Amino acid sequence: MRRIERLINLIAALLDGRRPLTAAEIRERIAGYESDSIDAFRRTFERDKAELRDMGIPIETVKDDNDTDAYIIPPNKYYMPDLDLQPDEVAALKLASDAILGVGEQAGSGLQKLSVYASTDDSSAPRVLWNADVAAEQPLLGPLLTALLGRHRVAFDYETADGVPSSRRVEPYGLVHRRGNWYLVGLDMDREAPRSFRVSRIAGPVIEIAGSYEIPSDFDVDAHANVEAWEVGESDGDVATVRFDAALRWWPEQNMPGASMSEGPDGSVEVEMPIARVDALVTWAIGFGEEVEILAPREARRALVEHLTPLLADG
Amino acid sequence: MAEGTGRLGRRLNRILLLLPYAIQHPGTTVQELSKRFDIPESELINDLNLVFLCGLPGYGPGDLIDVEFQDDRIHVRMADYFSAPLRLTPAEGLALYAGGQAIAELPSMEQADSLRRALQKLGLALGAGSGSEDGAAIKVSLEGGVVRHMQVLQQALAQGRRVVIEYVSSAAPEPTTRTVEPWGLVATKGRWYLVGMDLLRNDERMFRVDRMKASRITAEPAPPAPADFDPERYRGAFIGGDELPVVTLEISPEAARWFDDYYPVGASKELSDGWREIRLASSRERWAAMVVLKLGPQVRNVRPGSVWSLARTLAMSIAARHTDVTG
Repeated sequence: MRRIERLINLIAALLDGRRPLTAAEIRERIAGYESDSIDAFRRTFERDKAELRDMGIPIETVKDDNDTDAYIIPPNKYYMPDLDLQPDEVAALKLASDAILGVGEQAGSGLQKLSVYASTDDSSAPRVLWNADVAAEQPLLGPLLTALLGRHRVAFDYETADGVPSSRRVEPYGLVHRRGNWYLVGLDMDREAPRSFRVSRIAGPVIEIAGSYEIPSDFDVDAHANVEAWEVGESDGDVATVRFDAALRWWPEQNMPGASMSEGPDGSVEVEMPIARVDALVTWAIGFGEEVEILAPREARRALVEHLTPLLADG
Repeated sequence: MAEGTGRLGRRLNRILLLLPYAIQHPGTTVQELSKRFDIPESELINDLNLVFLCGLPGYGPGDLIDVEFQDDRIHVRMADYFSAPLRLTPAEGLALYAGGQAIAELPSMEQADSLRRALQKLGLALGAGSGSEDGAAIKVSLEGGVVRHMQVLQQALAQGRRVVIEYVSSAAPEPTTRTVEPWGLVATKGRWYLVGMDLLRNDERMFRVDRMKASRITAEPAPPAPADFDPERYRGAFIGGDELPVVTLEISPEAARWFDDYYPVGASKELSDGWREIRLASSRERWAAMVVLKLGPQVRNVRPGSVWSLARTLAMSIAARHTDVTG
């Protein structure tokens, strides 16, 4: 018997089973395992279990009445519920799935699962002329998402922007993709305050720890989605004033619609913005070149000059 | 993310999709399955022939999965346990949900309402069991999708027309007016870009939408994107090849931790003191000089010298603006 047939038999028996099956019962009853020696069976069974779990098939291990390990696939964890997607919704998801860069294959296979129930018209979809890269290949997103959805607390090693390593325990509240990076937003259990963690600075693995939690009803993930780098940090309350010269004033007017602005000299515009990290503000302002000036705070002006000093001193 | 990506895993995944579909749609045809799941008919028939040797312990006629071919029609019976597909993996759920959110944000997307409804249902399914609005806990925020430009660009793409943009690049401080034959809109590194043929340079270019000062659609037709137009190529927010000049610089260990997240690094190697030598491909000296300025104390040994002197000139003038005369 081929391995794939044995795997299908194993899924069928564990999914249809009225009760969990022990390894001995699996060896005895399920077609494909019968001829192996005990040792060979053990190895084969372990390999099969790992393959199926990798595919996302929830094989659970429980104890039977004799305190022996037994295996089952709980139907409520295996089956995709019918989402009652309408044909237009499936078509829109198809359009989105065609537009996703990098993880298009995952999006496509997910979409196929979703559309098993739906009747769709097969009219040819328009060619997708826009494409979005949401950097979803980041491997830690899977375990973080699983923890977030199951409301499991997590622990991981984390390196702050200054390169300081630390161990964190977090209650995940949300995952946010901003400026090409993913952030985990959640309650830092040791600091007893909400924090954002850049996923690329989490040194895996992400470990689920004991205890459950609820996401506060007033938590607003949007508030964390749109903050700029200079607003993210451990302190807050400071406000900076940045002047854009006349030639560049269209930029804040177009791209910072929520900011408070006032007229400056010579047709310039002065933008007030809350800041938590002076260094992030400095590099952001420098990125505009000569037509932008930080007016306040003085500390930021000094930090900017200090940042550029090594380039001035040499040669 | 970990998935059953081997051949066996892929085939098994496919079978676990085919069966629920065939069970939910009795009398479906080989052609329909083949089209829907994008598999050759011969492979599909192999899959169905295999399934019918499988079933529940006992493996007698009442235990095996029953697959019946009636002319072209297929009926699958005795496999109620396979009547629903497997749940989405986290990778599948995230790809669809996050990608869908990014696309739903596009202004003037006709299907946005349908997509939002679909995402809401999907969000509920991802967090199944808790019954709360889990979907909202995942958020994709893309910048630079300035509504009025995005509308113009989408319209131009849909109608196959040239656009004229007033553009301020990081390569030159003065705005330039460009006529572009649009090929597509690509969101990457958290921003929207227009990709197309720049008639001023007679070459393909990426334009950051937030750096467009103005945009308008013209009456002139634009040819469709080339047949080999592949948006995957633009993911690094950078078009380059071996032919581009290379800028070499050395960055500190601190900068090395984040640098790759923001810039297209061609190659890099660690130096004996922990600094990293980085090679950036860029045809634009001013862009490279701006990278140097942002690095400040975290960069040394910038080559070629022309990039270094440009960076110094810019640094002097920016620093002068921020130097307070104290007395």
